[in-house]
Amino acid sequence: MNSAPVANGSNPGGAYNNQAARQDMEYLCADCGAKNEIRSREPIRCRECGHRIMYKKRTKRMVQFEAR
Amino acid sequence: MPDGSYSGAIKTKDTFNTLERENKFKNPPQSGHSVPILNEFVTPLLESFNALFDDSNLPKGDGDGRGLLSLGLKDIGERVVFDGKGEVGSVSGQRGWGNRLSFWYETVSVARPMVPEKDTRTKERRVFPSEARERLTSYRGRMSVKLCWRLNDNPVESETRDCGLLPIMVRSARCNLRDMPSAELVKHHEEPEEFGGYFIINGNERLIRYLILPRRNHVVALNRPSFTNRGPSYTPHAVQIRCVREDQTAATNTLHYLSNGNAMLRFSWRKQEYVVPIMLILKALVGASDKEIFEGIMMQDYENTFLTDRVELLLRSFKMYSLYTGEQCLEYLGDKFRVVLNMPEDWTNKALGAWIIQKLVLVHLESPRDKFRMLLFMLQKLYALVSRSCAVDNPDSPQHQEVLLPGYLYGMIIKERLEEALTAIQRTIAIDVARGEGSVDFFDKRYIKKVIGRTSYDIGAKMANFLATGNLVSPTGLDLQQASGFTIVAEKLNWMRYISHFRSIHRGAFFAELKTTTVRKLLPEAWGFLCPVHTPDGSPCGLLNHLSRTCRIITRPMSVAHIPALLVAHGMTQAFSPCVDGRRNLCVQLDGRVIGWAPQQTLKQLATNLRIWKTEKKHNVPLDLEIGFVPTSHGGQYPGLYLFSTRARMMRPVKYLANDRDDQIGSFEQVYMDIACTPEEIENDVSTHVEHSPTNFLSILANLTPFSDFNQSPRNIYQCQMGKQTMGTPCTALQHRTDNKLYRLQTGQTPVVRPALHNTYGMDSFPNGTNAVVAVISYTGYDMEDAMILNKSAHERGFGYGTVYKSQTVDLKDLQGGRSNASLNLHFGFGHDIRVDGDKQHTCLEFLDFDGLPHVGARLSPGDPVAAYVDDTTGRTKFAKYKGDEIAYVDTVRLLGSDAGDAELQKIHITLRITRAPVIGDKFSSRHGQKGVCSQKWPMVDMPFTESGMQPDVIINPHAFPSRMTIGMLVESMAGKAGSMHGLAQDATPFQFTEEDTAIDYFGEQLLASGYNYYGNEPMYSGITGQEFAADIYIGVVYYQRLRHMVLDKFQVRTTGPVDPLTRQPVKGRKRAGGIRFGEMERDALIAHGTSFLLQDRLMNCSDYSTAWVCRTCGSLISLGYDDVTLGEQYIGPNAHPKPTGPGGEYCRVCRAAAEEEAGRARQALETGQNPTNGVQTDLRVAISSQHVLGSASKGGDLDIVAIPYVFRYLCAELAAMGINISLEIQ
Repeated sequence: MNSAPVANGSNPGGAYNNQAARQDMEYLCADCGAKNEIRSREPIRCRECGHRIMYKKRTKRMVQFEAR
Repeated sequence: MPDGSYSGAIKTKDTFNTLERENKFKNPPQSGHSVPILNEFVTPLLESFNALFDDSNLPKGDGDGRGLLSLGLKDIGERVVFDGKGEVGSVSGQRGWGNRLSFWYETVSVARPMVPEKDTRTKERRVFPSEARERLTSYRGRMSVKLCWRLNDNPVESETRDCGLLPIMVRSARCNLRDMPSAELVKHHEEPEEFGGYFIINGNERLIRYLILPRRNHVVALNRPSFTNRGPSYTPHAVQIRCVREDQTAATNTLHYLSNGNAMLRFSWRKQEYVVPIMLILKALVGASDKEIFEGIMMQDYENTFLTDRVELLLRSFKMYSLYTGEQCLEYLGDKFRVVLNMPEDWTNKALGAWIIQKLVLVHLESPRDKFRMLLFMLQKLYALVSRSCAVDNPDSPQHQEVLLPGYLYGMIIKERLEEALTAIQRTIAIDVARGEGSVDFFDKRYIKKVIGRTSYDIGAKMANFLATGNLVSPTGLDLQQASGFTIVAEKLNWMRYISHFRSIHRGAFFAELKTTTVRKLLPEAWGFLCPVHTPDGSPCGLLNHLSRTCRIITRPMSVAHIPALLVAHGMTQAFSPCVDGRRNLCVQLDGRVIGWAPQQTLKQLATNLRIWKTEKKHNVPLDLEIGFVPTSHGGQYPGLYLFSTRARMMRPVKYLANDRDDQIGSFEQVYMDIACTPEEIENDVSTHVEHSPTNFLSILANLTPFSDFNQSPRNIYQCQMGKQTMGTPCTALQHRTDNKLYRLQTGQTPVVRPALHNTYGMDSFPNGTNAVVAVISYTGYDMEDAMILNKSAHERGFGYGTVYKSQTVDLKDLQGGRSNASLNLHFGFGHDIRVDGDKQHTCLEFLDFDGLPHVGARLSPGDPVAAYVDDTTGRTKFAKYKGDEIAYVDTVRLLGSDAGDAELQKIHITLRITRAPVIGDKFSSRHGQKGVCSQKWPMVDMPFTESGMQPDVIINPHAFPSRMTIGMLVESMAGKAGSMHGLAQDATPFQFTEEDTAIDYFGEQLLASGYNYYGNEPMYSGITGQEFAADIYIGVVYYQRLRHMVLDKFQVRTTGPVDPLTRQPVKGRKRAGGIRFGEMERDALIAHGTSFLLQDRLMNCSDYSTAWVCRTCGSLISLGYDDVTLGEQYIGPNAHPKPTGPGGEYCRVCRAAAEEEAGRARQALETGQNPTNGVQTDLRVAISSQHVLGSASKGGDLDIVAIPYVFRYLCAELAAMGINISLEIQ
């Protein structure tokens, strides 16, 4: 798993390494269904209703298995 | 349901109500429920929980102080400590007690589950069960108690103490879902029919199971040989009463008969049992004179010398105590019990004695006079039992049983925990006083508050622990026979299993280990209360029962205070009357209180009157009053009129024939009633009642078996089992479930043939199987021994296609390095060591998103990463792996926040979807206990076909029927076929057809009308040759269930794999990739067959084959030593002969030691000139044939390599440890 080169040893501030990880992820509130952008290390709570569960959105990538 | 009527809407019979159902799904009712009956059948659970609170049936905030918790607080009373600062002889402390500090509980309150105060941004303050389920937390509300204390006669001070978060029963009075209609429930992610009755602990639904207990406040006569072990002169005879206080806690009193005619009362205090002469209690209660006691027992029956002798003995034997007045008796009692009671030191002996009697003797009665009368009655019954004029009562019969309801048990435990905490405060202060600590100052409020603060009050956590484990931690035992196994998980495997959890009732863990089977017997007394069909086979058979469909459990108290007066007005003599003739008069009791006496004829009339009044709602006689009139008999049950109005009794609705009204009958009175099953069965002047429906005695599940009256009864039992193991529809709110494992049938259908109750219970919302065209034919040879052949095209169309949902949680707090002194070390996401973009992207990115969580929809193989997280201290990225052993798809990924929504992501929950198309080896069953395994998926072209071109989905073998006699399945086949042709939902309620009006004729005519053979047979043609079969084939439509037992979860095969580290034999267990034991008997078979190579292969090569060095000289397996041959060879041996090591330097340590010793001796002999003595010689020799000697050390070493099972070497080592040598002889 360590095929990628190790950039630097320890970085207490955060693990934002490159642009991709910095991307905000969008999640769906389990209660009101609102879209929420939650960054890494931000508390899990809905901005609209304050609910404490988020669902991950279905991937936009192509999902194709066993095309028969 | 309580009245036995079908409350479900069956508007248009015979149709499937498809549109109506669809509409109900789309628009759940805005008020009320789509299937109201599902809310009724859990009422005992909910109402018993609601009874804990004062305001349960009143508007909010209107407590009446009748809640079980409030009553419990009252019963706990106060605790007292003294600071020991008083002067001896003064008023405040005759013995130097000093200042008196007493404290007690005033009120207890439980709030609804709410978001914590520190979270200010949440709009919805209420917490709903779905959140607890999804976040894998518990559904809890805050509990607090008001603690009051008082110093001497100073004003009362109080403090509110927080008791932690108490688990709340879903849909109870403290649940936020209470009174929500279906539409609201759906909005809160629940089922439209969510009925609650369970607790949510760590995301699991747990429920306290009903438990059978002895009927409260009723004296039962017992005969147990074990009673003789209690001491000298004890006999097997006893009468017992389980008394229940107002707060539903119980205490059992037993009256033992001694062989000298005396009687001893037994009660227990903190699990310790005490026996007291009954006379002591009788005198202590009311200060009764000997004459009063004598008359009270004799009741003018002076000719009965059996009785006079014993009562005389009773009175005379008590003279040795020299206690004459009631006061003396109380003081005696108090003196003896002062040490164990731990009551305030300033109480007098008399007060203590009175307290014992109040708290431990016949606790269901308040007044001593009532207790006195009841004890006299118990004595009378005891003497009647001994003289054989009355029979022993059967404690295994539902007649003498009631139910332990979850809420009451919950209340009892809370009460005990509170009591414990109060005692702990008392003890803490007492210890402080005894130590003479300077901080002790009763006048300092801070000191007392400090002590209260120091005491552990986390009752919520204790209750959560009770619910999670089912273990009862209790100093008193709560008068129960078991200390564990109270709670179960309400598995949502399928809907049938789920709902039957809520109706299951257990006899008690104590009886499970009993060798005798008497407790498991199905008794006629259980008719209508416990289902005779719905019990598991195997070890819990007969102990784990299910309530009948119409059986209710009384949960509300009723007003019966006026009933004694009512009875007196109609001819009953009052209890206090001094001149009652015991020969003619029988006792009348109300909830274990003697309320009067009357002759048998009067009693019979009174019983009838009461029944008429209660059914016609006259004189305020409650309908749920149980009127147990036991007539005089020759050696039968002890006669009398026993009225029960208490809670926790089983009752059921029937029709009273005298006035055609609904009546509720209990299990005690039912024994003396004549209840006709159908209106046709009513016999004039014999029958008193008639059943509302002949199927009411069956449980819900047993009622759902179609035409169950046509089947041999064990088959219906099997169906009740298999219905609960079916892959069906567990719930409709699948998106919001986090169960560990859920089975789902993708192609569920409503059965064509179903009993009327199928609609009543809304089973169409949760389909459990598929309608299949079934041909009963022996066709391919693949249908032997209960195998069935599946039509391959049916399979391809989706027949029985299922899905398994599994959960995996990743909690960073539980992982190594997750928590280092309060700061979070692990975070979801990627560290710098993972390249997330570009060409050389890390392979985990195939499964994981940039946030370190899996893509929804990703396909996972065993070992694939499901989450990535970074360790702050090392900066490295680690992965959580998918642990399963089959391919799964990520269905849902939940990010779980903290209670207050203020913490970053530390825990995720992943729902994995595993597809399970039917494969060969999967189990299927019809609804008649006819299970079978799919043996082939037969191509459709080769399946037989009928004249109309129909081809079966399923082929079963005709041999499945003759021995099992499941005629119901044959009828279902016909009915299903006719129903499909005519578009009818066939009614399959049992007991609808008669000998004159047969089911065969009814469905045969329907078949004729649609152009089929009357009997359901059809000519069929071979799919292979096209030739018509010689016989007509029975073919029809049967509802088939796919059972959850699938080969993919079962198959177990290995060649090599993990081995046990100690023995190097293969491990056992499928989970650990172990093997199936090839045991001794299997070995015998191979020996008998002479298949020695197979034997070698199984027991040696595939097991613990190993090679070992064995010494040719001494035959030892365990004396191998190595020389470092690189330094040159050593030459030591007997008589100075060179003793080489093997090529690898190996040598036998024993032999070398012996050789060295001998060489030494020889040298010594040479020096001294004596003859050398011989060394040690082995005497035991075991032969090993030369072919097992793999290669002899050629270069002079005397060690050989042999192949042996590794355990043999282990055995040698173990034996050597015990000083036993094993020597192998090598040839």
